[in-house]
Amino acid sequence: MNDSSKIKRVNGTDESLLIKKAKQGNQQSLSELVNRYSERVYNLALRILRNKEDAEDILQETFLTVLKKLSDFDERSSFFTWIYRIATNASLMKLRRKKITASEYLDHPDFEQSVKDRMLQDWSQSPALGVEDQELKKVLDGAINDLSEMYRTVFILRDIEDVSIKDTSQILDISEENVKIRLRRARLFLRDKLSAYFSERIPS
Amino acid sequence: MKQHQHPEEIMKQICDQMGEDLNAPVCREVAVHLQECPECKFYFDTVKKTVVLCREMENKKSIPPEVRQRLMKLLLLNKDAQ
Repeated sequence: MNDSSKIKRVNGTDESLLIKKAKQGNQQSLSELVNRYSERVYNLALRILRNKEDAEDILQETFLTVLKKLSDFDERSSFFTWIYRIATNASLMKLRRKKITASEYLDHPDFEQSVKDRMLQDWSQSPALGVEDQELKKVLDGAINDLSEMYRTVFILRDIEDVSIKDTSQILDISEENVKIRLRRARLFLRDKLSAYFSERIPS
Repeated sequence: MKQHQHPEEIMKQICDQMGEDLNAPVCREVAVHLQECPECKFYFDTVKKTVVLCREMENKKSIPPEVRQRLMKLLLLNKDAQ
């Protein structure tokens, strides 16, 4: 069961009541909603933007928007999807303002073909392979940072946040098929970055 | 240095599977092929390991208390202004 499903299940029916009360201006309910979702919003923003100050900006921006637009929330989507959409859009806007990430590699028409032609080296069973390795951590962080926003957001939502394909498609307003395509490309991009790193570290 | 030479359809299915839940056995043919083909298995395993490493690195961070404090203060101020 993914995290978004868990939230829906744990919060269950009381979330509707909470939202109803918050819409009526009940401060306690509003605080409860903020407490429920603030950590997830902060982590999402941190993962997309990779900067603590920017993540705090997005956290504040997201909940200011929630306060402003809560009365418009019609519960056609889940509250989780709604707030994640606000946070993701705000993060993307900030990312675009900060830098344009262009990954020609990913957008190259021959990308699919290159998957088949790439050299293979199995480093997955390499001993002592873990993120406690600071050099590896730096490589991973750089690789995620190199992902253009369209791939990075899908990768963060699906593989890191464990959001379902359906919810990811709703949050990003793209088709489920597009979610799968972007996720596949993001994974392969990251895998190739690591392979390049390991090809220097591990003798073939 | 060996090149990947496998049926087009198998590779397409592996690629499709890579966009899905990596633990879900969505395609028996792919699973069988992975068992029989070390090259594809290496490739699949390294993609899977990449995701695992990224998940480990991106572990959940707590909101620093001062950040939470500033958030609540901002929201309360905002409410006061309404």
